[in-house]
Amino acid sequence: MSMIEVNNLVKRYKRAKAPSVADVSFSVGDGEFFAFLGPNGAGKTTTISILITTLSKTSGEVRIAGYDVEKDARHVREKIGVIFQNPSLDPQLTAEENIRFHACLYGMYGYRPTFGLMPAAYRKRVLELAEIVGIQDALFRPIKKLSGGMQRKLEIIRSLAHTPDVLFLDEPTQGLDAVSRRSLWEYINKVRDQYGTTVFLTTHYIDEAEGVDKVCLINHGKIAACSSPEEMKKSLLRQELILDSEDKTALARELSALGLPFTVNGQHVVVPYQGSAQSVIARLRTKLTVLRIHEPTLEDAYVEFLNTTGREAA
Amino acid sequence: MNEITLTRKNSRLFRELNTVVTVMAREITVFFKSPGTVIMSLAMPLMMMGMIGGNLMQNMAGGLGFEFGEFMLVGMLVNMLFMITTMGMSSLVDDHDIDFNQEMLVSPVSRYSLVTGKILGAGFAAVMGMVGTLIVGLVMGITLPVGKLLLILALSPLMCLSGGALAMIIIGLIKSKRTANLAMMFITMPQMFLSGAIIPINNSSGALLVLNRLMPMTYCLDLVRSVVYAGSPEYESLVMFNPVVNFAVIAVLTIVCLMIGTYFFARTEKNR
Repeated sequence: MSMIEVNNLVKRYKRAKAPSVADVSFSVGDGEFFAFLGPNGAGKTTTISILITTLSKTSGEVRIAGYDVEKDARHVREKIGVIFQNPSLDPQLTAEENIRFHACLYGMYGYRPTFGLMPAAYRKRVLELAEIVGIQDALFRPIKKLSGGMQRKLEIIRSLAHTPDVLFLDEPTQGLDAVSRRSLWEYINKVRDQYGTTVFLTTHYIDEAEGVDKVCLINHGKIAACSSPEEMKKSLLRQELILDSEDKTALARELSALGLPFTVNGQHVVVPYQGSAQSVIARLRTKLTVLRIHEPTLEDAYVEFLNTTGREAA
Repeated sequence: MNEITLTRKNSRLFRELNTVVTVMAREITVFFKSPGTVIMSLAMPLMMMGMIGGNLMQNMAGGLGFEFGEFMLVGMLVNMLFMITTMGMSSLVDDHDIDFNQEMLVSPVSRYSLVTGKILGAGFAAVMGMVGTLIVGLVMGITLPVGKLLLILALSPLMCLSGGALAMIIIGLIKSKRTANLAMMFITMPQMFLSGAIIPINNSSGALLVLNRLMPMTYCLDLVRSVVYAGSPEYESLVMFNPVVNFAVIAVLTIVCLMIGTYFFARTEKNR
């Protein structure tokens, strides 16, 4: 079953010359981890905003957990949790007051004026979650006194408090240090394992998308490619052997004789190949001084994609 | 998280009422955490009642045929509810700036509940202003019977809703704090002078008559004065409409303004 179904989605802002999202279609399965990659202005945030019902679409069909985002917006909102690109916490409230506000808006508990007066289940859960993400000491401190990393962790607790089926993360680690990023992803992965939550991610950090189930590349409002990261790397890039020898001329002559294409890149000879690297290496008789296998990363694929679609990386 | 899910109430009415209370409670919490707002709520009556009112009493109150101090106190109480609630609504622009509106709008509750909670929360600061006005009035030797004060207090949520709903029409369209502040002045100042808060309007005519009949505060003031002056000889000269008419007009204007304002607010946030 598809948890997110997008068909021919178009969004054209008033007075804009071109649509920000142009005829985009994709689907995300139940429990899938999905990433949307693209440079600034590609249409990522516009798309996610339509999916979370905070932006109206121009045309097309969008369904979340089977509900239409415009006709059944209320049901859609019940099913989703959102971490916005910019922090959306009230800086004048404490961390716990922000969570309480969210939990009450989602109808989980009747509002009580203090943490101590809230039901025991709420208090237990908040303390538990705070401990998992390591903000238990900051729970009763005003938001404005928390670091960016702590605020992001708090937003994650808040967005998961009502047990959403789909979690939307719009560049959730923007502005966080490496340690905060890592612990945040550990927590999100833990939640996915435990509850099978479907995750929709937009990010600038390509490494964050390496572990996803499906990745879509978007540019100029259009989806250019949509597949698993492995398939994407294979389709956009080739694997390469990086070789060197004391007798480069002999190496080049041997490669030509074997019918293997190659290029000389600075000090090294680069040999693209498909399938097993071993089958290439085994055929070479020239003595090698350097032998490296270059496995393309998703970042390589992303850069290649941007080069071919004509937009600088963000 | 299952235990939390189990405690989730499914009644739609409960959720909407809970939303109103939650949003209102947030406004009250923020109010107490902002010493500047608390001080302004209490200082504003000193300026409005003490300075403007005191000056009018000393220079213009002769030969009116009724006790001007009491007339003005009632006007200032309603004006304070209107003015502070209206100004409090501009915090929606702050919420927009910090993206907090997005957090509220992505929750599965009615936009009307969110806006109503916001208005009632802003109304709390207004009630504080009302208390300040009563204290200043007491210092100036102007008092009202406790019974009538309680009746005014009971009517205060209606006044706040009316003022807040009117403010929503403009706030719903504004995304700049500076513009919002100017717009709030634009809403509150004409109402103070044209709806009869401090100057009787029984003899208004022409464009001024049309304007005061269009202002929700005219009917709020008239309703409160009908309560304060009930059974007194001044009733006929100071109260313009039947209380039922006032109540009906306030209710209709509030609902219409609330619907238009909430529509603008939700639409503006959705088309940002």
